[in-house]
Amino acid sequence: MDDRNAALRAKEDVTRRWLLGSLLTAYTASLVPWALAQPIDDRDQGAFLAISAIIAGHQALDAQLAKRLYDALIVDDKRFPSMARELLSLIDARKIEPLHLQQVLDAEKSSLAGVPRAIARAWFLGIVGSGVQARCIAYENALNATIVSDVLKPPTYAYGVYGSWAAKPV
Amino acid sequence: MPDIAVADFVVIGSGIIGSTVARKLAQAGASVLILEAGPRVTRAEIVARFRNSPRRSDWMSPYPPAPWAPHPIYQPQSNNYLVQAGPYPYEAEYVRQVGGTTWHWAAHAWRNVPNDFRIKSLYNVGVDWPLEYDDLEPYYQEAEVLMGVSGAPNTGSPRKKPFPMEPVAEPFAMRRIRERLASAYEVVTNTTARNSRTYDGRPACCGNNSCQPICPIDAQYHGGLAAHAAEAAGARLIPDANVYRLDHDEQGRISAALYYDPDKISHRVTGKTFIVAANGIESPRLLLLSASDKFPRGLANSSDMVGRNLMDHPSTSLTFDADEDLWLGRGPQSPSSIGVMRDGSFRAEHAPYRLDFTNISRVVSATSALIDQGVYGDEFARRLRYSAARELNVKNVLEILPDPNHRITLSDQKDAMGIPKPQAHYSINDYTKKGHERSQQDFRRIAELLGGSNLRFSKDGAYANNQHICGTLSMGSDPKASVCDQWARAHDHENLYLAGTGVLPTCGTCNSTENGMAVALRTVHHILFEHKASDAPASPRAG
Repeated sequence: MDDRNAALRAKEDVTRRWLLGSLLTAYTASLVPWALAQPIDDRDQGAFLAISAIIAGHQALDAQLAKRLYDALIVDDKRFPSMARELLSLIDARKIEPLHLQQVLDAEKSSLAGVPRAIARAWFLGIVGSGVQARCIAYENALNATIVSDVLKPPTYAYGVYGSWAAKPV
Repeated sequence: MPDIAVADFVVIGSGIIGSTVARKLAQAGASVLILEAGPRVTRAEIVARFRNSPRRSDWMSPYPPAPWAPHPIYQPQSNNYLVQAGPYPYEAEYVRQVGGTTWHWAAHAWRNVPNDFRIKSLYNVGVDWPLEYDDLEPYYQEAEVLMGVSGAPNTGSPRKKPFPMEPVAEPFAMRRIRERLASAYEVVTNTTARNSRTYDGRPACCGNNSCQPICPIDAQYHGGLAAHAAEAAGARLIPDANVYRLDHDEQGRISAALYYDPDKISHRVTGKTFIVAANGIESPRLLLLSASDKFPRGLANSSDMVGRNLMDHPSTSLTFDADEDLWLGRGPQSPSSIGVMRDGSFRAEHAPYRLDFTNISRVVSATSALIDQGVYGDEFARRLRYSAARELNVKNVLEILPDPNHRITLSDQKDAMGIPKPQAHYSINDYTKKGHERSQQDFRRIAELLGGSNLRFSKDGAYANNQHICGTLSMGSDPKASVCDQWARAHDHENLYLAGTGVLPTCGTCNSTENGMAVALRTVHHILFEHKASDAPASPRAG
């Protein structure tokens, strides 16, 4: 019977969706008010998404890409979900602002210092991992491409008709 | 080890120059066999590799070497293929695959300026070429027609016929640079093998800003197209054929090329004439690997000059923020230069240089810098847009003089096929350093005229390499001081020719490919003239 209940709970977990705002405290919610309605699968992924929103600022975070980035980060380090939760708690407890987050962690030689940098690389460059383990998860949808997409296209994408690049960008 | 092929001409290397030589010979009715160490790779594969690369600033990442034909790789870690003997590292990059390294180039197709051929006579530095600008002029033109070169006439290289195409449309950023520097500098459009209109069945540039590492639409010419043209003309190309030795007969004539296939099974190809066109590092390596009792220092090396006089173009640079939005990254990557310091009496004292403006998007480099600094939140987007819009970079392209101590030798380390690796001996001499020092005042003046702030000079003493490998097979009139004559025929072997940028005896201030192409086309003209004179019977097609 216990097994059956566990199976039912698991099924419920898979199908249930929460909103990011439901797991945030007042402080962390105040950092990312635009992201509170972002759907999340579970608390672990929610912590990742909350930190993602803190790092990315007012950028729309594609839910499918978020899942792929999260899955890739877990492959690299199974402790990643717990570290993300721990980091979110730290941000909340010490009221750390996004712009100071990395400096605080680096200065304190925190074991969590690699977490925001890995998330930043994932969203801004579309790359997870480093060295020979690095792999590309996103290119034209990485945030560094979308942030400038009104003016620039990612290399290998055409600007349009011949000479269209001669005009002043608007 | 049976002979598997016989040809009038055996060309070793299928890069842009080797393939063009093969094409011309095949068009003349000769049987031609091209041996290429690396594999065939398609444009679509390279584009996909680039888009999926985790190292977008590492433009070699779409070109992983074949295990049986390695080339130097430095990221994410060095494969130690090109062994560094110092004192200054020479981190050459090139590609061993069908079509060679110009799959990945800025398509600069410059001619030398006339005085580049006479720097010993005029400035008492370096060496004179065994030919002059006028000797090469018709072959420059031929190369430009073959490659489809667009350009403007104000580059200091006189011409008898117009460019095949008008210059490629000037990116907005380059127009603003040209306009704002006009009081002090003439900014010229770069001469490039890039289409400004449909040409030779290929489309006009559409500004993808990925000229390096790969033009996704073949709007710029490259060795893959040259190899295809050679095969269409009747040449036979064998990929994955890593030539490790040339044999000779009692008279010193080259008799056969021996190559390994990927399974390290050796094959032998015989021919009447051999043309080594495997680039400025692999060609001297092959000649040195072919040492015999009769030629103990290697083929073509009675002068001991094979591999010596290694040259490239070292660069230093300035990055700064302009006072207006320019948005580098729209249009081709490398559109504009300043040529005022390419020639002058100062060459007696210090290196000449070209000043080169990049139009490469700053997005990836700025992103990495901001992540390194830990800039997160909305500030990231604000600063990324600022850097992408305002950052500019200008670099010098410095001449380095021929120096016998700068050389390619054989290492005692071996590659995966058991063949000795190439080893580089290199340094940056005072002549080049003085050129760098002189260029700093240009950097500062340019920044000033563009309202520059946040000036970031490249690290003192660090010289970026431009991958224009020259000099290691230098042509010259004196067989004791050079490898080949003005026709690029080895002084020591009647039926051995050399093709590629290695034969250039000095490197000037511009990318070397077109100079290598023009010299090679002149070589072909000479070969065909000689064969016609001797009325040599044509052999059946290679097979």
